Amino acid sequence: MKRHATWLYLLFWIVVSFLTMFPIYWLFVISVKPAVELFSTPEVLLSSVYWQNYIDVMNDSTLRGYMVNSLIISTGNAALVTVLGFLACYALTRFELGGKESIFFWTITNRMAPPAVFLLPLFLLFTQVYKFGDFTLLDSKIGMILVYCTFNLPFAIWTLRPTVDGIPKELDEAAFVDGASAWTVITEIILPLARPGLAVTLILTWVFAWNEYLLAATLTNFNARTLTTGLSEYVTTTGTEWGVMATISVFTLIPALIIFSMVQRHIVAGLTFGAVKG
Amino acid sequence: MTRARPEDIETPLDLAEFEEESRKSAFDEAPGGGFLPIETNWFDRLFISVVIWVAMSLFWLRFLEPAGLPLMISNAISIALAVYIIWKG
Amino acid sequence: MQSNRLGWILLAPTLVILFFFGVVPFFYVLWLSFHQWNPFAADPNVIFNGADNFRALVFDNGFLSSLGVTIAFVFFAVLSELVIGYALAQAFLKDFPGKAIFRTIHTLPLIMAPIIVGSIWKLMTTPSIGIIPSLLRSWFGYDLNIGTSAVAAFTVTVVMDIWHWTPLVTLTLIAALVSLPSDPFEQAQIDGANKRQIFWHITLPMIMPAVLATVFIRLMDALRTVDEVLMLTGGGPGSATRYLGVHIFKEVFPRTNYGYGSAISIIVLYLTIVACWLLYVSLIAPRNTKG
Repeated sequence: MKRHATWLYLLFWIVVSFLTMFPIYWLFVISVKPAVELFSTPEVLLSSVYWQNYIDVMNDSTLRGYMVNSLIISTGNAALVTVLGFLACYALTRFELGGKESIFFWTITNRMAPPAVFLLPLFLLFTQVYKFGDFTLLDSKIGMILVYCTFNLPFAIWTLRPTVDGIPKELDEAAFVDGASAWTVITEIILPLARPGLAVTLILTWVFAWNEYLLAATLTNFNARTLTTGLSEYVTTTGTEWGVMATISVFTLIPALIIFSMVQRHIVAGLTFGAVKG
Repeated sequence: MTRARPEDIETPLDLAEFEEESRKSAFDEAPGGGFLPIETNWFDRLFISVVIWVAMSLFWLRFLEPAGLPLMISNAISIALAVYIIWKG
Repeated sequence: MQSNRLGWILLAPTLVILFFFGVVPFFYVLWLSFHQWNPFAADPNVIFNGADNFRALVFDNGFLSSLGVTIAFVFFAVLSELVIGYALAQAFLKDFPGKAIFRTIHTLPLIMAPIIVGSIWKLMTTPSIGIIPSLLRSWFGYDLNIGTSAVAAFTVTVVMDIWHWTPLVTLTLIAALVSLPSDPFEQAQIDGANKRQIFWHITLPMIMPAVLATVFIRLMDALRTVDEVLMLTGGGPGSATRYLGVHIFKEVFPRTNYGYGSAISIIVLYLTIVACWLLYVSLIAPRNTKG
């Protein structure tokens, strides 16, 4: 009886996992089929693998440019928010700043606001107000790096705060008594201890920035276009080339999957750290 | 392993608690005997007033203004209500 | 302790960035919503026009239908995710081999870009190439066409959201369920309570905070669903899946009527805040009620 139930649950979870995995598998199937085969009766199993879509995408210099843009923007943004979030958390946990809890709450609300609401004002500000001489933030990588802070910086502060808070304050107090500067304390005492939390924050914010579409679609034209916008752009102009669309999707998906498989345990540990210490 | 250990599972559940703490310590006030069903500080009551003002204005624009009642009446009622909520809530 | 000035200096970059990209846009859009501004109209200047934008808004059928389908979408998606997520969480607590692998697989959709999810489901459901319409046709003789049927398009967006976000609900509910003490359950069993009574009177009240917090997170995310739907249906057919974010992106933004667009943006923000605030109040109300 007991044995029976075990197999039932196992079967149940195999079905659930199949439902989870199948759409991703289907994406891969479409990406390795030649266009003529797509429109016959859909077949689940692959008889042959056709790599031409991948070669085409790799040879497309526009898409390669988008890929590089995506890499620069998400890496720059993740590094920036992790550093700033770390410093902010140090400030929030080590100092008696007036109204710091209100400040903390306010930073978190920045993440909750729907980005669609901010499309219009950000677009107008980028084109009309935030410009220095000839340089506008519109369609610039630095502009995208900064604008992604609106959702990633609150996340970084929120995940890092328990980590930094959990580092004993006696450590830095003792260092200050010994005459260390604030810079030394932050880089040589706090930073090494906060490293796991920082790594997790860096990775997750990187994925969020990499995945972002709406703001990139609105605030970039060509120079800072990211891979996600390239995908939608490609679909609207050449809607019938399903294979290429699937291939670009696979390319967008791969970095996130690699990160997920490499550090999944750490992501879990890092996020629970936040939940346990909170 | 029969049950997943709590520390295995990623969860951002403490968000609400953070907010609650932060809001309470921000404008701490002795619990009063207001009429609102929840304990509020002056900021919460101002927020509630603004929410009511916007909702009422939109309702007024849609249903009562076409009937000939100017929006100013709605604003006057909202302000009166806001004063009442902020003082007595 | 060090001087507070250092603290403020460390906090300053964060505050400056969030000020320029969070606070300024908010007040700018608020200010614009009371103005008429269309750079390509006869009068391209910014002119104060009081509540005129909002006056037009409450009679704008495009916006109101978008609001309606958004509410329906959020309701069906979040409710289904809660029910399925709870069932999966319960099933996960039982004893079976390979749990870690199954949880890893189940977590997979969470890290995927919404636009990729949209792209995947487009490939799954487009009538000419998708597997789902083909299977439905051969098994049930039903023609699923998200390009022409409003109901089909709406259902597919809900199913897509369920596929993407149920894992989040499952994981938070597993966390809530494993942390429950076992005493009340043992006591209830001794007292002869049946499974349904145990669920309604013991399990549910105890995991309620976690459920509400999950709903809170899901509600916020579901209200701002844009990318997936934009990719999958583009808001169509007609306005069947033109949720508020999609509406702003496709209908409001391309028109250069910035004053009116600002008014819509502000109202969407208002509705989001009110929805979340009501939920937040219900979240803390049991702990915070007077007397």
